[in-house]
Amino acid sequence: MERKIQTILIIEDDRFIGEMYVRSLRKNGYTVDWAVNGREGVAAALAKTYDLILLDVMLPEQQGTEVIAELRSNSEDKIPHSRVIVLTNFDQDDESRAAMQSKADAYLIKADITPSRLLEIISQLKPME
Amino acid sequence: MAVRLADFYKEHVKRKTPLWILAELIVTGLTFLLVLSLDIEPLTALFIVVLPSFVLHIGMYITLGKNTLRPLEIITRAVTFTSTQASDVQPPILTDEADDKSGLKSMVENIFARTAAPAVNTDNTKDDRELKIALLDTLDCGVIVLNEQREIVYANAAAPVHTDEKDQTTIQLLFEASDTLEQWLDYAESYNISAKHTWTRIANVLPEEPDRKIFDIMADYHKNGDKGIETVVLTVDRTEHYAVDEEDMDFIALAAHELRGPITVIRGYLEVLMDEMAEVIKPDQKVLFERLSVSALKLSSYINNILNVSRSDRRHLQLHLREDTLKGVYDSVAHDLALRASTQNRLLNVTFPDDLPTIAADRNSLSEVISNLIDNAIKYSNEGGTVTVTARLDGNSVRCDVQDFGMGIPSSVLSHLFTRFYRSHRSRKTVAGTGLGLYISKVIIESHGGQITASSTEGKGSTFTFSIPTYASVKDKLLANDSSNEGIIENSNGWIKNHSMIMKG
Repeated sequence: MERKIQTILIIEDDRFIGEMYVRSLRKNGYTVDWAVNGREGVAAALAKTYDLILLDVMLPEQQGTEVIAELRSNSEDKIPHSRVIVLTNFDQDDESRAAMQSKADAYLIKADITPSRLLEIISQLKPME
Repeated sequence: MAVRLADFYKEHVKRKTPLWILAELIVTGLTFLLVLSLDIEPLTALFIVVLPSFVLHIGMYITLGKNTLRPLEIITRAVTFTSTQASDVQPPILTDEADDKSGLKSMVENIFARTAAPAVNTDNTKDDRELKIALLDTLDCGVIVLNEQREIVYANAAAPVHTDEKDQTTIQLLFEASDTLEQWLDYAESYNISAKHTWTRIANVLPEEPDRKIFDIMADYHKNGDKGIETVVLTVDRTEHYAVDEEDMDFIALAAHELRGPITVIRGYLEVLMDEMAEVIKPDQKVLFERLSVSALKLSSYINNILNVSRSDRRHLQLHLREDTLKGVYDSVAHDLALRASTQNRLLNVTFPDDLPTIAADRNSLSEVISNLIDNAIKYSNEGGTVTVTARLDGNSVRCDVQDFGMGIPSSVLSHLFTRFYRSHRSRKTVAGTGLGLYISKVIIESHGGQITASSTEGKGSTFTFSIPTYASVKDKLLANDSSNEGIIENSNGWIKNHSMIMKG
């Protein structure tokens, strides 16, 4: 049977938004961990392989751009085999956005999507081989 | 030998005046002697003196007038003929030797020579020319000179031009797709002998690329200009001036980020609440929840419109065009739009044929256009009315119609609809909104290389139509522009990036 996304790491500093995603995803059967800053997020992603990482851009300690660069760094032995969805409300229009878009599987504006739409997008995503 | 130009007037006076003073003296003297020698009555004597003088003056007026005013007439004709004013005046042709001697011929020849060639020092020495070029290169202002074939014949050091490895020089300016230098030249060449045009806030490269500068530009066109100079383009570097606006944008982007946080929470929690309380809430309470949801969604759309307008103003609007389907774009916002329609008691009827070809689209931006048009149709239709969305293939484009059957739009208003902040006088009383939605929709569609139009019958409704090029029709262009980036084009406005104006020689 085709494997589906099961484990998800959320890297999100906003408590209200983080809780919202955790609640909605767990309710729909996903196993969810939640890191509240970039540094914790990288540590969690390197300690355990998640099928999907939901990554905020404006994060304390380590920005989303740095997190994605580190997670996608080819020189690292432990390259996490995770899909990455960038979830941000900061609509940057500079090269960091382009860089994140090229490394992420999706780039979404949080205010434009509801939890149910996010679930829909996740359900269409296949885990990395 | 002809007299010097500077002496022409003096010579002219000298040649005519003494003759007549002499004639006057002779006639008056002879008359005086005659009167003295005859013993006649004073009245008769007076008559005898006055009559010849009178006859003499008539002759004098006729000949003097003719002779002295002739040069004025000839010079007037020459000046009139060489002026830009329309007239049927023929150029004076002077063959008489007297005109050569009097200097009149030389005077007229000078007028013709002056207008045929502007004051150019034709015996330029090489040093003089080099000095002028060095002087132009010290200017902060860019100077680009184009000939009749629109080839660059000169560009000074400050000019925003790019020379490639084949030594071809092109103007490096990212004009808006709807107002390029070439379009203006096409227009000027067809309709004008001379024309001027200005552009403001034109960048040389895309945002974030190195050495990005922002220019205000003036261009001057003269048909068949002297020495093959037909168009002169002046560019003024205004990067620092516009940098202030860039800071404003940072503020807008940050403010949008702050506003979107609570909106995310409100929309998300409402959905979670509605879902978890589905069993216990009454139908009328569900309507209240949905209205809250739609209101939060609208806030989110307004923020997107404001951000896009701000980017478009600063020529920062970047589109990532990829192969996509209109249905795919629509589906990404279908749920939100259905909710918007149902909460406002409108029926949304959407049908896309299955066999529509793919389009080159930026999904986020295009979905905002569709949202704006449907939102607009909802606003302007009647309670309980229908909004119909259909699509079809039209040549190399996919056309999408958004139709409502509401109050309609007067023809006087139609042409202004896509202007920023414009809403008709009547609608302002009944319908709320910022007036930014249609404006930014036009910008986004045109940046896709498409078009947007509106048609309406008062009292019967309106149809907004946009067209987007099929992916197949622009694939080559997209790949040629940026083959390294999976066919994604990043451009300030559409895919007209550089102008193929080639440096001569």
